[in-house]
Amino acid sequence: MSEIASIQPSAWEPLTQQFVFRRLLEAFSYPGRVASVARTDAAPVLSLLLATLVDAEIALADPQGLIGADDWRRLGARRAAPEKAHFIVARGDLAPAFEPSLGTLESPERGATVVLQVESLGVGAPLSLSGPGIDGAATLAVGGLDPTWLARRAAWNSAFPLGVDVILVDGTRLAALPRTTRIKFEGGH
Amino acid sequence: MNPGYELPQNEAGYSFGFLDEYAKREVRRTVLKAICIPGYQTPYASREMPMGRGFGTGGLQVTLSLVGPGDTVKVIDQGADDSVNAVNLRKFIELTCPHVDTTEHTRDATLIQSRHRVPEMPLTEAQVLVLQVPYPDPLVVVEPSEARRKTMHGEGDYSRLLTKLYEDIVQFDEITISHRYPTRINGHYVIDPSPIPRYDVPQLHQNRALILLGAGREKKIYAVPPYSQADPLAFDDVPFRTEDFTDEYGRRRACARCGAIDSFLDELIDDDGARIWQCSDSDYCNERLAAAGKQEVARA
Amino acid sequence: MGYVAIKGGGRAIEGAAGAAEALRAAEGEDGRPLTLAAIEHQLRLLTSRVVSEGGLYHPRLAALALKQMQGDTLEAAFALRAYRSTKPRLLETPVQDTGRMRLIRRISSAFKDIPDGQMLGPTFDYALRLMRFDLAGESPETFRGIARRFLSQVPETDLPDTFPKVVDALRAEGLLPPAGQPREPAFDITREPLVFPVPRSAALATMARAETGSLLAIAYSNMRGYGDVHPTIAELRVGSLPVMLPHPVTGEPTEAGEVLMTECEVVAMYEEQGSSSVAGGRKPGATEDEGESGGPPVFTLGYGACFGHNETKAISMAILDRALQKGMRDGPSNPSEDPEFVLLHVDGVDSMGFANHYKMPHYVTFQSDMDRLRTTRTKAGGKAAGRNDEGVQS
Repeated sequence: MSEIASIQPSAWEPLTQQFVFRRLLEAFSYPGRVASVARTDAAPVLSLLLATLVDAEIALADPQGLIGADDWRRLGARRAAPEKAHFIVARGDLAPAFEPSLGTLESPERGATVVLQVESLGVGAPLSLSGPGIDGAATLAVGGLDPTWLARRAAWNSAFPLGVDVILVDGTRLAALPRTTRIKFEGGH
Repeated sequence: MNPGYELPQNEAGYSFGFLDEYAKREVRRTVLKAICIPGYQTPYASREMPMGRGFGTGGLQVTLSLVGPGDTVKVIDQGADDSVNAVNLRKFIELTCPHVDTTEHTRDATLIQSRHRVPEMPLTEAQVLVLQVPYPDPLVVVEPSEARRKTMHGEGDYSRLLTKLYEDIVQFDEITISHRYPTRINGHYVIDPSPIPRYDVPQLHQNRALILLGAGREKKIYAVPPYSQADPLAFDDVPFRTEDFTDEYGRRRACARCGAIDSFLDELIDDDGARIWQCSDSDYCNERLAAAGKQEVARA
Repeated sequence: MGYVAIKGGGRAIEGAAGAAEALRAAEGEDGRPLTLAAIEHQLRLLTSRVVSEGGLYHPRLAALALKQMQGDTLEAAFALRAYRSTKPRLLETPVQDTGRMRLIRRISSAFKDIPDGQMLGPTFDYALRLMRFDLAGESPETFRGIARRFLSQVPETDLPDTFPKVVDALRAEGLLPPAGQPREPAFDITREPLVFPVPRSAALATMARAETGSLLAIAYSNMRGYGDVHPTIAELRVGSLPVMLPHPVTGEPTEAGEVLMTECEVVAMYEEQGSSSVAGGRKPGATEDEGESGGPPVFTLGYGACFGHNETKAISMAILDRALQKGMRDGPSNPSEDPEFVLLHVDGVDSMGFANHYKMPHYVTFQSDMDRLRTTRTKAGGKAAGRNDEGVQS
């Protein structure tokens, strides 16, 4: 192994990505469940997530510059405006300032995936969730999420199958909110 | 042409899980979107696998994109682990996925790839079921054009499919669909649940495990998330019915081997020409025999 | 009896592989294994077919696949494709100029003579299909001298390296619309699923690796009257195309290798520029200068190209390209003009895999079928009995 590779986090190794994907699969299958992706290396969960899902096929939007130059180079993704992106990375503590793609009736999978960096998962304001993947009801506590996101998300997802799917990440963990998940929160239903 | 080119000497050059990482990443993205849009046939660029289209390549691409060290994989075909096709797929996974265990026991498996059956034993949240799909679209019987079918699916417009079922009832007094029974997921998309018997369809409803369906030749992946509604299409006065295993006296037939009266049965012709019934799910049958401390009933 | 006949599959699979292998070597003591070079050269058209349908330009691997699959072209192309699945795509080639092909053959049926002339090259087109019984007992010594003797009789100066393209002459005269610049990158069918409608580049890529017989059958339906392309071959060329890739350091286009390929351009019925109506077969009354919509009428082009030396395939593809362009624009009026019908049914790996999967056990679904049939028969029997009771004949 070359010296450069040895000091890089293992986010780019196939088995790391397989591990991260399985945590994502669990998070999407059981919305509200917080999956830990902490590994021995120190790669931030956002890098792990992007390395697992994004490559040159993907249009990626990063309006607030959360992705480092090195990650951009390795991902090889196309830079895009949030309106045209498959994946959008944004800060959860700031209200959304874009309209993501919701897909079309014929191709709803073209609805964007929004990755929100939040302060904490498992600690914070509780959200009450229901929908596919949830046995009755579930609670997800999120710290550092501007409530405007929930209102905008509800509007974006109001005409199934159109919509956006959200991944929340903190330092080491992630949780998913597929477009089918219904969220009860203060100020809206 | 390049006459001097040296060919690789063996198969060791294949990467973990056979597929290259770009292919896996695409399948993974597709699987997540499929979960987010329950029942929607999410398109993906299916790769060629080293077994025939129609032999489970769609399911296999999903399995290989999921599997990792620490997984235990079970492969079944027609409910049996030692059916030729199941053996073939399992051998391929063993060959290309070092440090992945395989098992014949449903309860020990973390990933189950199956053709034509859902295991009898209830699945858990720690398991994922991958079903192999030959025909993903239930609307193909009423609409040959895929472009038009996509619109119908998007609008949740299944009126022509329901009309087809109704015509069956008028003609035969019964819905004649035997397997691949159209089933509505989460109140919107109607799926072809793969050629599982009607007996297995109720298992899709509110299952604890994620169920992924992979159609390799048709290049589609779709999902029934855990704890989701799965409603077979039916009419109030003609309900959905599973296969009937009652005998001429109105009794539920039992497995000739383990005695189960709560499993899907294969109908066999004995060497004497008599008809007998046995569990289609070989693990379920073996587990019951083991639990009863019995040896297989020898009928040589 | 055993549990079920089909079970115990592991041993059966090994036995089957052994039996197939034994038949490959059934010549026994007198047998000599085929070398890959022998397959690649002596069965060069077979190899060509496999590189083309396999979608991977690797004649030596194609020869291996043919040897392994005992001559089955569908299986050999399939093996090559499966091998391709394991390889990452590292680079996209820029647009290649087929005018740079080093030709072994080029013909035009549209013109008596073309710039730099027709070159018949290696073809059986005008050979009598009489059995050459002398090949049955060919001596190795004679065989080894054939190529040497041929080359010694052909002065190297007789072979120009490249030839101008016929369609360029038609374009210069304004009889064909100018070649457009691609508006978007070519659709990559190995990375993107075909979701209809698809761009023309997706159709071309699908056909380039389609099964030869399937393409021919659908193109033939168009030729016979289920369609109206009425093609004339402007040019059919076979040769080695130098593949230019950007140099990893300088970025300058650099020749990375060459691929043998066949290219066919057919010219078909004229149409008015910027108009959607097609004159010719379907509108016999139309006159050449009809139409208010601007530009003068021009010919239209159908394009076919594939790896290897596969003339039937390239011609079929060119005709279907023309037919599909019409279908994409005006809506299909024949199967050969319907992109979904054509493109989803010409892939050999898909179609042969599915045809063969019917050999796998289906007893669970058949059990389910029997259940439905028995139930409906019982109901039908009950009804018939009921009707007879009422004195109604059934």
